[in-house]
Amino acid sequence: MVNCSICGKPAVYVNRISGKAYCKKHFLEYFDKKVRRTIRKYKMFGPKEHIVIAVSGGKDSLSLLHYMVKLSKRVPGWKISALLIDEGIKGYREYTKEDFIRVCNELEVEYRIASFKEYFGYTLDEIIKIGKEKKLPYQPCSYCGVFRRYLLNKVAREMGATVLATAHNLDDIIQTFVMNIINNSWDKIMRLAPVTGPLDHPKFVRRVKPFYEILEKETTLYSILNNLYPKFVECPYARFNIRWMIRRQINELEEKYPGTKYSLLRSLLKIISILEKHKEEVIQGEIKTCKICGEPSAHEICRACLYRYELGIMKEEKKKVEELIGER
Amino acid sequence: MFYSYGVTKVVIIRIVGGSKEWKISLGQERIRVKELLEKIGLLSNEYVVVKNGQVVSEEKTVSDDDEIVLYPVVSGG
Ligand SMILES: [Zn+2]
Ligand SMILES: [Zn+2]
Repeated sequence: MVNCSICGKPAVYVNRISGKAYCKKHFLEYFDKKVRRTIRKYKMFGPKEHIVIAVSGGKDSLSLLHYMVKLSKRVPGWKISALLIDEGIKGYREYTKEDFIRVCNELEVEYRIASFKEYFGYTLDEIIKIGKEKKLPYQPCSYCGVFRRYLLNKVAREMGATVLATAHNLDDIIQTFVMNIINNSWDKIMRLAPVTGPLDHPKFVRRVKPFYEILEKETTLYSILNNLYPKFVECPYARFNIRWMIRRQINELEEKYPGTKYSLLRSLLKIISILEKHKEEVIQGEIKTCKICGEPSAHEICRACLYRYELGIMKEEKKKVEELIGER
Repeated sequence: MFYSYGVTKVVIIRIVGGSKEWKISLGQERIRVKELLEKIGLLSNEYVVVKNGQVVSEEKTVSDDDEIVLYPVVSGG
């Protein structure tokens, strides 16, 4: 049980579903096959692409960057770049930024760091302080999530990306799936597809998730074996939340009933294909263009602009927002 | 008086980065990594386990004198 099923060397990993064990070399082969199969199955990339990898500095996104750079050596039409969003979180981001730059240099990959400060004029720390002073009803993670997603799309497009790859793994995806079932958020469940994007809005960069079928344990192992596992630094705004409880419950189920996670993923794919046939019921209205900033948006004014307005960190466009809000 | 410090053998389990540490005496027992984690209330699918400097699967056996370092698989992006 503890030796590689292929070569008999000591195992670093056991696949609980197939019962197969893998040594370091054969685990990396297994990992590579699995990711390539995922990419093929969901038609993530064409022969000519500028793939921008969204990197947070965590182990999964560093692994994705590392993996994609290696894979791109076999595909002449691919260019890989990395994009890191610097929210401006003191005591956290400066460390993960170091890891990011080290890995980019080792892999000789072009990278871009885009900061909240540069695009919005304020760091996340400052934004949270202002939000508190103004008694706005939002959690730190709400600002961060909205501004991050906004910048990922905008900056990837500015970089000339034909596709943006994120490091969401199987665990992330099924946790979000369960959370959205609890919240009755079927529009968000549709966005959990392995490929999303380009048809909805011309300014939307196509998004893919190459680790869609890869377990969190597998991406972690890949990061350790490739010396990418970062020094553990916790985001100071991280709070115990419902995701942690769902994660624990799913992991307990998986421990007792191996295969639970893949089963949940199959359920997700099935419901997405059903929802696709009922799009009008699920998604309220077409994707619009934000009247303030011109980015894709669910409403007349996008979330990022609305937050900027409420925070009072908006200058010339402020009047326009007021006119539009008056119109509604 | 009888002092036994320095005599008792234990497995040392640490989480990488040093946030937590456990010392467990197994005596004659040889158990699997998976069972060792269960003893301290952890799930084996939430950690990659390094035993004496080598990555091992959760099926690997452990005994006293082993040093275990756990790499959490949990963390965003
Ligand atoms: Zn092998
Ligand atoms: Zn906007």
